[in-house]
Amino acid sequence: MSVELDKLFIYPKHWVNEDAHSFAATIRQWADKEIISDRLNYQQNYSRLFPEKSRKLGIDIGLKRLVLPDKYDGYGWNSPSYAPAILTAFTEIGRGDAAIGLVNALEYAIFATITMQPNLKYDLCDALAQRYFSDKLKTPTAILPGAGLNNQKTPLFRGMSVLAGIADDDNESVISGTNLRPFGFGKSADLLCVVCAQSNGKICLAFVPADSLGVKKGLPIKQTGLDASENTDISFESVRIPKEYVISRDGAVEELYVWLNLLLGGVSIGAAMNFFEILTDWAQNRTIKGGMPMKENPLCASVLATVAQEITSARLLCYSLSQIMADPFAWGGIGGEGIYTIARMIGSSVQDSAINALNRGMELMGSAGYAKEWHVEKHWRDIKTVQACLCGIAADIPVKMDIARFFYDCKEVCS
Amino acid sequence: MKHFDNFSRPLEYISPMDKHLRTVIRKWADEEVIPFRRRFDEDWKEHKLIEPAFDKLMGNKGLGLQKALFPEELGGWGLGHSDNTFMISYALSEEVGRADTGMAVAFLVTLWPLTTILIEPHVNWRLAKEFAPMFCDCDRAVFSALTMTEPQGGADIENIGLLGGKTLRTTARIDGDEWVINGHKLWPTNSAGVSRLFGVPCTTKPGSNDRDDFAIIFVPTDTKGVSEGNPYEKAGMAADKNSDIWFEDVRVPSWYRAHGPGLDARTFLEIIPWGQVASCGFLTGAMLNLYERLYEFVSTRTYCNSVLKENDAVAGVIGRIAGDIDICRILGHEAARIGDRRNMPYGNELGSEETIGKIRNIKDFISDKSVEIFGRAMDVLGAYGPDRNWDIEKHWRDVKIIQLWMGGKQLCQMESARYFFDCKTL
Repeated sequence: MSVELDKLFIYPKHWVNEDAHSFAATIRQWADKEIISDRLNYQQNYSRLFPEKSRKLGIDIGLKRLVLPDKYDGYGWNSPSYAPAILTAFTEIGRGDAAIGLVNALEYAIFATITMQPNLKYDLCDALAQRYFSDKLKTPTAILPGAGLNNQKTPLFRGMSVLAGIADDDNESVISGTNLRPFGFGKSADLLCVVCAQSNGKICLAFVPADSLGVKKGLPIKQTGLDASENTDISFESVRIPKEYVISRDGAVEELYVWLNLLLGGVSIGAAMNFFEILTDWAQNRTIKGGMPMKENPLCASVLATVAQEITSARLLCYSLSQIMADPFAWGGIGGEGIYTIARMIGSSVQDSAINALNRGMELMGSAGYAKEWHVEKHWRDIKTVQACLCGIAADIPVKMDIARFFYDCKEVCS
Repeated sequence: MKHFDNFSRPLEYISPMDKHLRTVIRKWADEEVIPFRRRFDEDWKEHKLIEPAFDKLMGNKGLGLQKALFPEELGGWGLGHSDNTFMISYALSEEVGRADTGMAVAFLVTLWPLTTILIEPHVNWRLAKEFAPMFCDCDRAVFSALTMTEPQGGADIENIGLLGGKTLRTTARIDGDEWVINGHKLWPTNSAGVSRLFGVPCTTKPGSNDRDDFAIIFVPTDTKGVSEGNPYEKAGMAADKNSDIWFEDVRVPSWYRAHGPGLDARTFLEIIPWGQVASCGFLTGAMLNLYERLYEFVSTRTYCNSVLKENDAVAGVIGRIAGDIDICRILGHEAARIGDRRNMPYGNELGSEETIGKIRNIKDFISDKSVEIFGRAMDVLGAYGPDRNWDIEKHWRDVKIIQLWMGGKQLCQMESARYFFDCKTL
């Protein structure tokens, strides 16, 4: 299409510095060249090409090193002030492939809990940086709180069950849990960031190398979208990790959620923007009523408008969140109650908007909407998968409870 | 535990055959489809898993449903003469749709073109006799297709109310006692080599919007000049194969035309309600299965350490989902009943603006609700929502396809507006 997306879906550009714009432009070129112009091949050879395309982005372009401090040969985007910049980058990735967006969002969010100022945790960075940021592509994933099972009383994180338990044993921590579902990429994950409950009910984050003794991966799970993120349930049979691999500070789990909501918001917006490109082409070149371009019909135009409206408002919301995160201390830090609640609220709205944009726009495309060759249905499946996984459990009820607690000072509700 | 049969339907509308048909199809669904359907996506090209289930549903060695519309004298069940044909079709659509909407559409579309020649008062006995052996004397599933969509604009073909077939580029010319057909079609259900018979909407005078020039001509798929492409890969509905079809100087006997000038256009208009009512049945069938799967999930998984369904806020969500299913099922039956009232003194012609507008309206409503509640249900399952083992995501992909087909949402809105607001130019 002839018009630049950023000139249509305007956003507060001045919140993003020149370096970040330049980095985002590189990612856009990667998306155009490696994926968008080669979609059919990519779709048909996904399992082979996914690592190749991921490597180009993560290692050759250097996306993976963004979150690392300079000391570890990183790019030093490990300050909350980079939130608008990193959002810009993830929007471009999502435009290409949401699965690549997801794996990188997981990595950035997980490592942000140990590399991000002011909570930089050098001992853990020392232990993990060499191992997970070499020239070999590594895959991290997160196991978040979610559904519990009937007749099992579990520790809770804001109402959601924490199914992994952790206990100290000398200099090590021991993790147990059965059939836990990662956010994605469970099958290929090298590093598992697990939300665990201590015996006193305190919730913490444990970094578990996937090759640790006692980590058991199950059978692959077929799922709606994000085909590359082959998932599986994972069990921990008394898995031992060094004590320094555990983060118990207040707000760490909330930080993980905040970053995931921001970055996956960017990924879904990017996917929706690529859908917009496809839809625009469709509406311009297809006719109805025997000759009128679709976009000139008032009913179709109103649907097209809804698509643009949803994407624009979602993008602006995400940038607002990123700017709040960029200077978080007035609000109690990234993991503080205020930013956590706003991130969950905006994250939920953005995913709703993205899936609504796709759902509405597909209405105009008829069978092309669900035919694989048009690449629309992939974005639709991917966004829905991100949305459902981000919900965790019970649709948007946990988010609503977070909001109610924050705005109305509820003390008892689903906590 | 409640059963999905507890969802409402107007019992005074129900056909005497309903209970029997539902019982046997439900047994077929539970034994032949539901245990295997999670592997259907990978079977989209070969149909190795899917075909045996079709044989048991449609073929003579199974339930034999493919002969349902043919008169008893020709070996069929005579449903074309029934006053309850729509209600029975709805029940079939719903029960098969509960198991797999892709199978449901492939099965019901087989009957679809045949409605133009087998349903009272438009029975074409000569064609019925011609094609009865194909469907009534076969142990295995036999499919047919209605080839509507064309490359230049799919929904335009169905918008016969406004365009009168003016945009059709598939042509039929008479040559002696044969029709010669040329054209290119896209997307028919049961294409890609599946069907033995096509119903082909075409024009006898390209560019004309005179309904007399609109024709439906039956073409056995092994006729010289018919060729089909490979199946398209889609987001869902693996059991429904679709492809390009080309007609190059295809010759069929002149009496293979459904009826003749005027009546072909009329029966084509009547096809629309059949398709829309069946779509409603597919959707509510999928919804019934959604309820079954969701019931299990919300009864066994917890939030705040109590089962999901006992949390007031979650109950608000799943209560709305169940409420919507209940309303949609009532509406779907009403759509079917509108069709069956066509022969009543207080009914309307099947091809009338009122019937088409009202039935399309109901289909549009149920489609929207389906897309909404399946998406919502996936969110209730959260990380398990996209998991194929919970089945809801499969239906989520499928119901979106149902929303988009047959001219999609916008054509439904236009037909509704055309009737309720007397629009003249839509």
